[in-house]
Amino acid sequence: MRLLRRFLLPFAVVVIAAALGTFVLGRVQVAASSTAMQNPGMKLTSATSLTNAGMIAAGRTLFTETCSTCHGGAAQGSVLAPSLLGVGGATVDLWLTAGWMPLRTPETQPEAKPVYLTPAQIDDIVAYVVSLKPGGVPVPTNVSLKNANAAEGFAVFALNCAPCHTITGSGDALASGVSAPSLHLAKSATMVLEAIRTGPQNMPRFGPGDISDQQALDVALYVTKYIKSPRNIGGIGLGGVGPVAEGFVGLFVGVGVCLLAAYWVGDRTARDDEDEHGHSDSGHDVGDDDEGEPAAAGDEAGEAAEEVGGTTDA
Amino acid sequence: MINGLYDWIDDRVNISGGGRKMVNKIFPDHWSFMIGEIALYSFVILLATGVFLTLYFVPSSSDAVYTGPYLPLDGVHMSEAFLSTVNLSFSVRCGLLMRQMHHWSANIFVGAIVVHMCRVFFTGGFRRPRELNWIIGMNMLILAIFNGFLGYSLPDDLVSGTGIRISYSILETIPLVGTYLANFLFGGSFPGNSLIPRFYVLHVLILPAIIAGLLGAHLTLLVRQKHTQFKGHGATEHNVIGAPMWPTFIAKTNGFLFLVAAVTAILGALVQINPIWLYGPYRPYVVTYAVQPDWYMGWLDGGLRIMPHWQTVIAGHVIIPNAFWPAIVLPGITFTVLMMWPFIEQRITGDRADHQLLDRPRDRPKRTALGAAVLSFYFTLFGASATDVLANYLHVSLNSVLTSFQILVFAVPIVTYPVALKICRELQATAGGGKTKLHNIVIRSAEGGYSTVPSERRPGDTPPELEPVALDTSVILPALVASPSYEAVDRSGLGARAAADGLEGPEGNGAAAEGNGAEPTRRGVFRIPRNYR
Amino acid sequence: MSASTGDSHGEPTPVTIRLDADQYKVAAANPREIEWTVAATFLLGLAGFAGFGAAYWVNASNAWLGGTLGLGFLGLGVGMVAWGKYLMPRGPFSESRHSMVPSQAEKDRIITDFSSRGKVVVERRVFLTKILGAAGAVFGVVVMFPLIRSLGPLPKGFSVASTWHKDSPLVKIDGTKVHLDDVEYGGMLTVFPEGDAGGALSQTMLVRQLPPKGEVNIVTAPGRETWGPLGYMAFSKVCTHAGCPVGLYQEVTHQMLCPCHQSLFDVGPNKPAIPVFGPAPRPLPQLPLYVDADGYLRAQAPYDQPVGPSFWWRRD
Repeated sequence: MRLLRRFLLPFAVVVIAAALGTFVLGRVQVAASSTAMQNPGMKLTSATSLTNAGMIAAGRTLFTETCSTCHGGAAQGSVLAPSLLGVGGATVDLWLTAGWMPLRTPETQPEAKPVYLTPAQIDDIVAYVVSLKPGGVPVPTNVSLKNANAAEGFAVFALNCAPCHTITGSGDALASGVSAPSLHLAKSATMVLEAIRTGPQNMPRFGPGDISDQQALDVALYVTKYIKSPRNIGGIGLGGVGPVAEGFVGLFVGVGVCLLAAYWVGDRTARDDEDEHGHSDSGHDVGDDDEGEPAAAGDEAGEAAEEVGGTTDA
Repeated sequence: MINGLYDWIDDRVNISGGGRKMVNKIFPDHWSFMIGEIALYSFVILLATGVFLTLYFVPSSSDAVYTGPYLPLDGVHMSEAFLSTVNLSFSVRCGLLMRQMHHWSANIFVGAIVVHMCRVFFTGGFRRPRELNWIIGMNMLILAIFNGFLGYSLPDDLVSGTGIRISYSILETIPLVGTYLANFLFGGSFPGNSLIPRFYVLHVLILPAIIAGLLGAHLTLLVRQKHTQFKGHGATEHNVIGAPMWPTFIAKTNGFLFLVAAVTAILGALVQINPIWLYGPYRPYVVTYAVQPDWYMGWLDGGLRIMPHWQTVIAGHVIIPNAFWPAIVLPGITFTVLMMWPFIEQRITGDRADHQLLDRPRDRPKRTALGAAVLSFYFTLFGASATDVLANYLHVSLNSVLTSFQILVFAVPIVTYPVALKICRELQATAGGGKTKLHNIVIRSAEGGYSTVPSERRPGDTPPELEPVALDTSVILPALVASPSYEAVDRSGLGARAAADGLEGPEGNGAAAEGNGAEPTRRGVFRIPRNYR
Repeated sequence: MSASTGDSHGEPTPVTIRLDADQYKVAAANPREIEWTVAATFLLGLAGFAGFGAAYWVNASNAWLGGTLGLGFLGLGVGMVAWGKYLMPRGPFSESRHSMVPSQAEKDRIITDFSSRGKVVVERRVFLTKILGAAGAVFGVVVMFPLIRSLGPLPKGFSVASTWHKDSPLVKIDGTKVHLDDVEYGGMLTVFPEGDAGGALSQTMLVRQLPPKGEVNIVTAPGRETWGPLGYMAFSKVCTHAGCPVGLYQEVTHQMLCPCHQSLFDVGPNKPAIPVFGPAPRPLPQLPLYVDADGYLRAQAPYDQPVGPSFWWRRD
């Protein structure tokens, strides 16, 4: 038993800690990426035409149930929500697919929530709203990443997107209570394109004169492929929030485990010559404040006495 | 054969003379004395992994185009430095492991130095005669931090390049000489082409050489003055109690080297650090969010963030730019006070005597509380370097996180001081606080009061400490080697000579009873004068 | 049974030592078991290193390479420490510690030797040492020249030069000129003067807002009535705090945020990138724009002040 305590136990602690750490951090990584990883480049259903009368009718019903309370029965807006007339199919598609809408409560910035509308239902609502008044950015069609270039996408992403979303796409807090969401929530290339072109809320709007159509596809490739599945060949990615996370790991895990090892290798504090009443051999009384400690003379007297009459058992 | 080799060298260089002292050198055993070794061995690992990296890293800002397995960088223009680092990560076998081990080791190196400095501070190990060693150590801390900054800036990636831009601006804020310094050190206006090659020479040659030299001085002083020790086990101001260099200390310290290497290797294997390919090459007009320096410079970044936007302007000229205070004045004061601390404390306490025994932190409550408060101040600043990340994870507004840190940076130390003071005083007041507990028998008196008496030692209890054996005045013969007669193991023949000289003590051959049988064992007790040859 | 420690005061002391003293016994009560365990950990270490070799041979991933190497070190480390802790003489041992302070006699001896020979050297030759000292001082000063001055050029007239000039066309990073239709309302674009795309000091943030009702330009400050044509505003992208690119633009709250230390700048009518939060002390310089005959954006003039953070003696 003593063997176990002394020896295998430190070993086991190290192994278990490493395993737990890997497990926990691995789960964090998994949770961060979306649960439903679509085939990048393809929309969930191919909505070839949003002018289908059946879709518009279905969309009207869904809209009345889901959106009209705040946005008004004819999408004209109210005190609670802005008008959706002429807002463009891309905006409606983006906000519904991301789960920002429908809103549970009025918030500064809607958070991504689980989407209970099916893709077909989303298409219906889009068709309905677009039918009310044309205008705005249309839903991207024929999205294909075949000719997209990852290097160009990375360069455009770094210049335009990284300042808010971070270079690893982990998202971060902006000023005035706003935040740039994590790009691990991007569900498809279409969603990326819609976000770029419509610039939801505080995100700037990048038109074709700013980021060209091909560049937008490049960015979509980079986001859906390299942001969502980063090449973390070095191991656990630590969330991509920068060196501060590495610092915590280095200090608490690196130096910490080394300190634990030192605790095993070395000796403990004196199992003392202190007598049972708690007076240590420094000769100071309990509760004494120790500034202006007298010079070594006092210590020597005490130590000489203790040397002669050592109290350890023989 | 080893004997022959030893004699060959010994006859020419005379190892045996001073060598015996070294072999018998005593090292106090306490675990907290090994923290400096963590730093030492991290330095060794840094050198070893660093040599590997220098074989592949190209310290040049010249333009090059990457073609390789990582597609988002394929065909991209970048500096040679960044390209060689990407190649190290993707295309050189073991390259990524060496990079990561090197970087983790650097983090552990600075961390261990800081923890070691705290240990020395809280136990009073910097007191006379060790002030010089404290100053050498502080210099090594500054150089280690600076070398770390230079090192992670070498790959010329987006995150570290942003940090370099900030340091250029900070240099410029120095009154009078700031713009000159910045232009000279960087070879012109930012970014320039001399940046990476100069950082490389500093990082690989000049600073490690200075650190190695200081390290040699640090260890030499340590050997010469002998290590401090805690009270107890018979330790006094005039002895050193512990384990001898040979064989115990060498075995344990070598083992510890491997343990530190193991921690570094496992971190380098499992946890990614500085993934520069995800950051991309540095462009002066590109920036990313969630960017901080490495942790040992985090306190500076935190200071820059929470500093209010004051600026000293006289007659239309900016005299003290805003960044000067947190980036130059704060570290200046920090390191000056730290370095001068032995003398400051001497002033305050008036204690100028030699100290070979260490305090337990609880024995010096005010010093401990002050150190804890100062530590908490810098840790809060380090926390302030991640205001945006914290705001994001806690779903709190960025503005309120920043304001909170502006308050916390004063509140936390002010609270820490009395709390630490109280804890020290409580520990002092508790009988046997922190010690291995002995079993007690609780007795209740007739009036209802409780008291304890220690019980007898039981078989399973920690075995009692023995008296220390003085190695500099005794003969060691390995008693654990069972041998019929000790002449066989007594290479020096000292025992036989002592017997022949009739130096047997009054106890005589009392140990014969424990010997191996019929043969008269020569194990015995001798009285050997100090300078006996 | 006992051993007394040596006296540190110089007298040769007889030492009694028992050769089978308990201090020399191994620390462990069960050394055989420990030996087997240490052997097992060494074998584990051996396996680890062998595994590292194999992982290298087959070009395995970083986790395998580092994990095997780490296992090797771990096995060796634990084994050696256990050997040192449990299979070696348990001690404790001691040695005596002498004060570092030399005796007065020692001090006197060295001072005497030093000064007695030194007197012969220096006496009546003080002027030699003075000239030597002067030469050394001059050397000390001039050796600094190549060490420091050769490092770089003098800062140019304390102005931080950006390459904008009158009528510079605005270009994107790929060098194409910026047309007035390129940026949507609520959009942002990083621009440079033509010929210096990618310039560290000339980098500029171009943003576009809807002008207030009934107006065509955005006027950020008195005297800047023409600087913001058709909702466009251009500000230096180099932060006035510590020089990071101010890359964030929040198009609803009309604010630019610097990612490094979170300096926040209000941008819009009557708001010429004023710092409202964070450590930046000065607003971002604004570049006056106009639209030329072909509809491309150009700069009316360079920045009216040095860009970037303050430095000594900067004229504000």
